[in-house]
Amino acid sequence: MSKKYYRFFGGLLTAQENWLNKMSEKGYRLIRTGKLLYEFEECKPGQVKYCVEFIAQKSKNNAKDYHDFLEEMGYSVFYKNINLNYSVGRVRWRPWAEKGGRIATNAATFNRELLIVEKENDGKPFELHTSYEDKENYYSNLRDPWFLLLLMFEVFAVVNRSVILGAAALISLIPVIVYQSQIMKNRREARTKEW
Amino acid sequence: MRDNVKGGALTEVTFYILLSLYTPKHGYAVMQFIEEKTGGRLSLGAGTLYGALNSLQEKGWIEPCGDSEGRKKEYHITAQGKETAEKELARLHELVSVASGIVGGTHYE
Repeated sequence: MSKKYYRFFGGLLTAQENWLNKMSEKGYRLIRTGKLLYEFEECKPGQVKYCVEFIAQKSKNNAKDYHDFLEEMGYSVFYKNINLNYSVGRVRWRPWAEKGGRIATNAATFNRELLIVEKENDGKPFELHTSYEDKENYYSNLRDPWFLLLLMFEVFAVVNRSVILGAAALISLIPVIVYQSQIMKNRREARTKEW
Repeated sequence: MRDNVKGGALTEVTFYILLSLYTPKHGYAVMQFIEEKTGGRLSLGAGTLYGALNSLQEKGWIEPCGDSEGRKKEYHITAQGKETAEKELARLHELVSVASGIVGGTHYE
């Protein structure tokens, strides 16, 4: 008996991760994802743990390589869309991505911005990034798209003298600040410690 | 004279990955090796391991081996990687001897 849920988390990756972990505690594990869909089947309560990983900056090949690597590590990996995109026609431009990933097309990287990684619970914490340097790097990848949005909204707000766009700029400032503070924190730690 | 004056220190993660690959391993086995050898003190996240394996491969210190058709990708250490590991060992010997002299004898356990 599978259970279907429809949820919108947008950029709140931690909220999504927490929700999935709560579902697992209640005895449901993920079997399929769709645009807003999460389909679960029953499992033992707390049998699995979840991490939500942002990979939109990766090119198609690198995203696939990473996906396969995680599966080889024994994890179950689901692609998920982030439901947050700015688009021109059918092509999405991601100037913050690495080479090969800057133009997101439907077939390649669009709607595959996240990986939901599932691990059988062995009682240990489940973290994908463990060294300070790597965490700093990961949070930069999370910050950059928001930083670009912030700049764009700001420019358009000034040009159009629009309050709404100004408000949008302020809203995108929040994740920039949150991720930036994580970056600074990890950078500070990395000065004396590796992990 | 020492010939390890140049080259700098490795991170612990880098050094352990190099050590683990003296015999070929895939990612999961590298992770297990490190956890086992450090008694669980150093537990590597898969994302961090992935990044480290890619950087070490770019450096030419490790390379994929075995038939590439096999499902799991295995790596092993290169000659250059071994040289790096030897230098690091010499550096650590020096560090331990200086530290022992100052902090006190080597009381392991």
